[in-house]
Amino acid sequence: MGKYILKRLGYMVIVMLILSFLMFLVYTMIPFDRAVVEADKFKAGYKNAPNSGELYEQKVEELRRELGTDQNIIVRYLGWLGVMPINGTYQGILQGDFGTSYSNNNQPAQEVLKEPMKNTVFINIFATVLALGITIPLGIFCAVHRGGKRDTAIQVATIVGYSIPMFIIAIVFIWLFAVELKWFPVSGMKTPGSNYTGFKAFTDKLYYMCLPLLAMTFASLGSMTRYVRASMTEALSLDCIRTARAKGLREKVVVYSHAWRNALIPIITLVIGWFIGIFSGSIMIENIFGLNGVGRTYILCLNNKDFEVVLLLQMFYVIIGLVGNLITDLAYGLADPRVRVNK
Amino acid sequence: MSAPLLEVKNLRTYFKTRNGTVKAVNDVSYSIERGRTLGIVGESGSGKSVSAMSILRLLDANGYIADGTVTFDGRDLATLSTQEMYHIRGNRISVIFQEPMTSLNPVFTIKKQLSEPFIIHQGMSKKEAAEKSVEMLRSVQIPNPEAVARQYPHQLSGGMRQRVMIAMALSCKPDILIADEPTTALDVTVQAQILRLMNEMQKENGTAIMFITHDLGVINEMADDVVVMYCGQVVEQAPASLIFADCEQSHPYTEGLMFSIPRLNDDRSKLDPIPGAVPHPLDLPKGCKFAPRCKYCTQKCIDEEPKLEKVADGQLVRCFYPSKSERRSPSHGEITVNN
Repeated sequence: MGKYILKRLGYMVIVMLILSFLMFLVYTMIPFDRAVVEADKFKAGYKNAPNSGELYEQKVEELRRELGTDQNIIVRYLGWLGVMPINGTYQGILQGDFGTSYSNNNQPAQEVLKEPMKNTVFINIFATVLALGITIPLGIFCAVHRGGKRDTAIQVATIVGYSIPMFIIAIVFIWLFAVELKWFPVSGMKTPGSNYTGFKAFTDKLYYMCLPLLAMTFASLGSMTRYVRASMTEALSLDCIRTARAKGLREKVVVYSHAWRNALIPIITLVIGWFIGIFSGSIMIENIFGLNGVGRTYILCLNNKDFEVVLLLQMFYVIIGLVGNLITDLAYGLADPRVRVNK
Repeated sequence: MSAPLLEVKNLRTYFKTRNGTVKAVNDVSYSIERGRTLGIVGESGSGKSVSAMSILRLLDANGYIADGTVTFDGRDLATLSTQEMYHIRGNRISVIFQEPMTSLNPVFTIKKQLSEPFIIHQGMSKKEAAEKSVEMLRSVQIPNPEAVARQYPHQLSGGMRQRVMIAMALSCKPDILIADEPTTALDVTVQAQILRLMNEMQKENGTAIMFITHDLGVINEMADDVVVMYCGQVVEQAPASLIFADCEQSHPYTEGLMFSIPRLNDDRSKLDPIPGAVPHPLDLPKGCKFAPRCKYCTQKCIDEEPKLEKVADGQLVRCFYPSKSERRSPSHGEITVNN
């Protein structure tokens, strides 16, 4: 088992190296020169000099050398990784330098992402737990009472929920709960001008997060319920369920132990995949509700051509995806002895 | 004679489907005595498994018992509460299913699955139950039972899995063991071992066995009494000794089944299969259900349905012409419709 995980981690490093190079390549190919932008700040100072154009060109060249953008792509990539010196110093990811966020007062890129990351992880875990807490019992209920009136009603509702995109749900929720009923604030992270600390700050944040959380959870209900219902229906039709009943097991034990363990196998893949997907899915919710999350930061930085932050975030998504895949495979083995790895 | 251990009387089990009601079991009666083996024979779809599942009230959601009684040990199973049924299933009446490959839950160890009956029916602790399950595995002659107990079903062969199923079914020393085609999916050598094992277990515990199969050879080996089913009805009921002896009277379907078995001392160059197929359950013939495939069929068979009538001591046949010599005679040939 340990050997298997090590092997997988090894593969992950290789995949990450390839992907990081490809992404680095894409972002360097964008026709944008950081040196030109930085040099523009000095332009006013050269205005009165007779050779202003020449000075400006010199400044651009100097800045390019300083940033290392005059080097070829391979050198720049290796420099970004931190395995090759640029201007005589090793300054890359391996040295803990993840880049600079030029649109945020030249703060280190990881600092810019710190606070949004906390918020995003909080929203996502909360929404996932909430959605699973609703959809799993609901899906099992539907599978057990398959074909009944209540099941049919829930099936119609989930089809509707499944067909409406998340941003429409978000807007309808804002209109209903914030504008009409005035239960929740329209957007934002905390009461403007407030200076709460400790528990008060937390409840205030929770109050602001309520509506986005509701929208996110609601948007995922339809598909999740249908999925749980489908895999549970299949599990309940297995021959071994008949055996379990014939043994004299209570119906509850048959459903929640024997059938559920079999239904879990396809659900695990979905849940973990969905959890990964939620990180990018929250881009939409964060933008609609003006939440300071990773997704919103991502869009802002893209618009501000703050590519070093974007690249870092991109890498984060890659890692989440790869780790998620590994966890899926390991969880699969836990749930299903037939795919358990013995090596 | 005392009352039989299990008596199924005028049982009708129907299934509601989109296209109409399927009468899977249509007025079936039989009984099992303690310590004896009842063989139920019939082609696929003849209602033999459904009648057995009706006893345990383990029908699919669209199936229901329309009429009839199932009396087990003096009590009508249809009137028992769900709680009382839980106590019957796996404890007093247990089942071995046809597919050993899929009848065990793939995600639990053998030990866990074997322990469950002990825990729920005999109130044992997990540890006691685990020890008992190893003991059960040993009693069904599984080599190295301690190791097998820790394994998962996919790590065992078909024969081994069926042994585990038998161990599970017999764990609470049931009064009745329903064996629903237990050897169909196994190869012949394993089949013989499993049958011998069931016989031994029966002798040891005095269990009554209800043996459901389409294999007459197995019935010959196992059963004391035989019920032949066709299209949800009993067409013949007789002691095995009578059915397998060349008796004077029988149902043409039973006769056909006998003819379609290859024999060693055969001078036939070809087997005589029964022509045609079982009619669709929603489109049954009006008269005798077997009439379209029967070589002795007359106009009367097409128009009227025969009743299950006593033709000899202990033998019931559902046919207008139960006597073999009579229906094979040239004068009968003049009135037949099918040939």
